[in-house]
Amino acid sequence: MPNLISRAIRRRYGKPALLITFALASAICVSAPNEPVNDRYCKTCHGSDGRGNEAIQAPILAGMEEWYLIRQLKNYRGKVRGFHPSDERGIAMQAMANSLSDESIRDIVGWIKTWEYTPPDATVDGDKAEGKKLYASCAACHREDASGNEAIGAPPLAYQNDWYLVKQLENFTNGYRGTHENDIFGQQMVTMVKQLKDDTGIRNVVSYITSLRSD
Amino acid sequence: MNVRVKRREFLNLLAAFGGTGAALNAGAALNLLPAASHAQTLDLRSPDPSKKQVVILGGGLSGLTVAYELTKRGYDCTVLEASHRCGGRVLTVRHGDLIDEIGNPQYCSFDDEPHMYFNAGAARIPSSHKNILGYCKELGVDLEVFINENKSAYVQDDKMLSGNRIRNIEFTTNMRGFMAELMAKALTHEELNQPFSDAEAEALLSSIRAFGDLKENDLYEGSFRAGYKSGGFLKHGVQKDMIAFRDLLKSRLGRQLLSANEGDTGPILMQPVGGMDKIISGFLNHVGERVKYRAIVNSVEVLDSGVKIVYDHDGARQSFDADYCFNCIPTHLMVGITNNFPDDYKKAMKYVRRGDAYKAAFQAKSRFWEDQEIYGGISWSNSPSRQIWYPSHGIHKSKGIVLAAYDYGGGIYHTQMSQSDRIEAHLSDAEKIHPDFRDNVEKPITVAWHRMNHMLGCSARWQRSFSTGWTHDEEKLYETLRAPVNNRHFFIGDQISMHSAWQESAVMSAQWSLTKLDAYVRQDLA
Ligand SMILES: Cc1cc2nc3c(=O)[nH]c(=O)nc-3n(C[C@H](O)[C@H](O)[C@H](O)COP(=O)(O)OP(=O)(O)OC[C@H]3O[C@@H](n4cnc5c(N)ncnc54)[C@H](O)[C@@H]3O)c2cc1C
Ligand code: HEC
Ligand code: HEC
Repeated sequence: MPNLISRAIRRRYGKPALLITFALASAICVSAPNEPVNDRYCKTCHGSDGRGNEAIQAPILAGMEEWYLIRQLKNYRGKVRGFHPSDERGIAMQAMANSLSDESIRDIVGWIKTWEYTPPDATVDGDKAEGKKLYASCAACHREDASGNEAIGAPPLAYQNDWYLVKQLENFTNGYRGTHENDIFGQQMVTMVKQLKDDTGIRNVVSYITSLRSD
Repeated sequence: MNVRVKRREFLNLLAAFGGTGAALNAGAALNLLPAASHAQTLDLRSPDPSKKQVVILGGGLSGLTVAYELTKRGYDCTVLEASHRCGGRVLTVRHGDLIDEIGNPQYCSFDDEPHMYFNAGAARIPSSHKNILGYCKELGVDLEVFINENKSAYVQDDKMLSGNRIRNIEFTTNMRGFMAELMAKALTHEELNQPFSDAEAEALLSSIRAFGDLKENDLYEGSFRAGYKSGGFLKHGVQKDMIAFRDLLKSRLGRQLLSANEGDTGPILMQPVGGMDKIISGFLNHVGERVKYRAIVNSVEVLDSGVKIVYDHDGARQSFDADYCFNCIPTHLMVGITNNFPDDYKKAMKYVRRGDAYKAAFQAKSRFWEDQEIYGGISWSNSPSRQIWYPSHGIHKSKGIVLAAYDYGGGIYHTQMSQSDRIEAHLSDAEKIHPDFRDNVEKPITVAWHRMNHMLGCSARWQRSFSTGWTHDEEKLYETLRAPVNNRHFFIGDQISMHSAWQESAVMSAQWSLTKLDAYVRQDLA
């Protein structure tokens, strides 16, 4: 039985104790009344143990640094990410984060820590040599090996799904991300993506970044 | 207001037809009658006692079909279902139910009465869907007629008649009248006369006249079919005014209104008495103890000798070994579930897109539509909420559940709204059809399939282009995905059919896979 009852349900139905007894009695009934829910929906979209799901465009969460994870959940919750009407994926994640309490975020971050990281398949084809040249200007913040730098607030990149990195670089380019006034970290990326020039630049740098992974 | 179709108008139309003669010739080849079809009877062999463990991933309709059929034959079936309920997209919403939308959980507080429900997923069963009907019969699921088209229901389009609602019958009668007038004129036109013999032309013309209720002169001058303006019973009926063709053409709803009775939604349609999920409980009456709820599949590994499943249940990781596996987890979720499927399989799984159908309903404090001569059926509108469905069941009871939105193809629009914005959107859309709608309803429920937990979509979309149909590549991907992996793993569900979004397809896909299993088992035993 899930150990967390969301705020919404508490508000409406009071203590969860009563609800739990119903959940067991459902052999023939298609659904028992007032089933409890919790906020642990992540795997439905982010896949088994948060290994990412390309069909949903939800990236790897397993192994993600706590500081980055929390910042992004709060960014989505505050509509600092996922606000642009054409950012369908960001909006989907925003709707998830929207209802998370701080307590729930803590619970989820602890839960995600128990997931094992598995390196993803490569899906992006690019010129790594060209990508390496482009990456020179990124290394200052994301480090040479793309392992990230907490002090600057720049996340690791090497371990992420390549298709997701491409998408985010497009999002910074299109103004879906990094344009909100409270997005102090994302704003830094908006000027950086200009150096990548076009889709080819994006693909090249991403294929270089994910080649830095030491699996 | 007699707007006869001008000569130029129909000559333009003739030019657009072009190949009438060609169409006639092609038609001559259609002398084949489709073979009478009937529900599939499965002649499955009982299993080798040492190889009878079957695991079914997902308690959707197709998964339960497999569980039911194989349990009957002596297989040992286990259904792993991620959700708190079985049925997947067969979802009937009634008192106390959780709508498990990610980020927006809702509890239904409709009155607790048998007729106070709506079907948020599958809702209609066509009489040609013999296999699902076969199971209804076998499982003792009572059926009743579902009213789809209702001529008394309304049509409303902001662009037509200043946004004023009209009755379906006014729209369709006038539309047909004008269309018939055009056709009748076209037929008397010399060139078109050519391919027809006199008898044919006469037969066609009389059908056209009847189709549009044309007057002697082959003109459409309005029709009593659209209803009476006044009288009609004890006094002479007074015909309603015609609506100008041009006005009707301002709306695009003709597409829906003139095809509502065709294809899969042609009469007669049926629904189970008490809700579509009576089919699910019908299966669960037989295989209910075989289902593990809240069992979330984490990985699928196909081995030489069987299948290994890892799943999470009650916060603990469990593992299950089976000889065979049937899987109805939606492909877009399966992409994110660890597996060792062959690469071409993975490619095919990623190819399939997910739909975004959306429905919303309210409890009506009174069945106000029945006072307006509406019993069941659908009102159509060009607003984003698109359709209002009046329940076919519970006629003349004091309350009912009215569906205030159904967008099959563009549900993302409402999906991306907050719950309160969704509700406001439906109320204001419905007010254009029923001005007092807002005051008459309460207890809203919205079902955004794109956000539903463990579903994240409506029906599989295989075709990238609906105008050109299935491409050769798409057909190949489809064949890949429906082929068993190693004779151990079988993908099932309406997603593995060429006609997704119907229960019939889910059932037929399950049956098809069962025949594949059976062929393998017979070969193995021989
Ligand atoms: C809005 C709408 C309208 C429709 N209208 C009609 C209609 O009028 N008539 C009609 O005949 N059909 C209609 N359909 C289609 C019909 O509902 C489907 O064809 C049918 O229900 C599909 O059944 P399925 O077996 O393919 O699986 P699904 O219903 O897709 O079931 C999949 C199951 O897998 C489970 N699952 C997912 N992830 C996991 C996991 N990790 N581990 C374990 N289990 C998991 C899910 O919880 C679910 O129970 C409609 C569908 C929708 C959404
Ligand atoms: C409805 C599907 C869905 C659910 C449920 C969901 N996510 Fe997401 N998530 C996404 C998508 C899609 C993205 C990519 C969004 C984008 O492009 O901005 C994403 C992005 C993220 C990111 C940003 C990652 C990065 O590198 O910037 C984090 C963090 C995240 N999700 C955490 C979670 C957590 C934690 C949960 C569970 C509480 C969760 N998600 C549940 C769909 C979902
Ligand atoms: C000035 C420091 C800085 C530089 C230089 C920089 N970045 Fe970033 N980058 C950041 C920060 C900070 C974030 C986190 C933004 C946030 O929190 O939303 C980030 C985020 C990203 C992300 C999103 C990751 C995710 O999981 O969502 C990508 C992709 C990325 N950077 C790529 C690059 C590339 C490629 C370059 C070089 C062209 C680059 N960055 C240069 C600071 C920098």
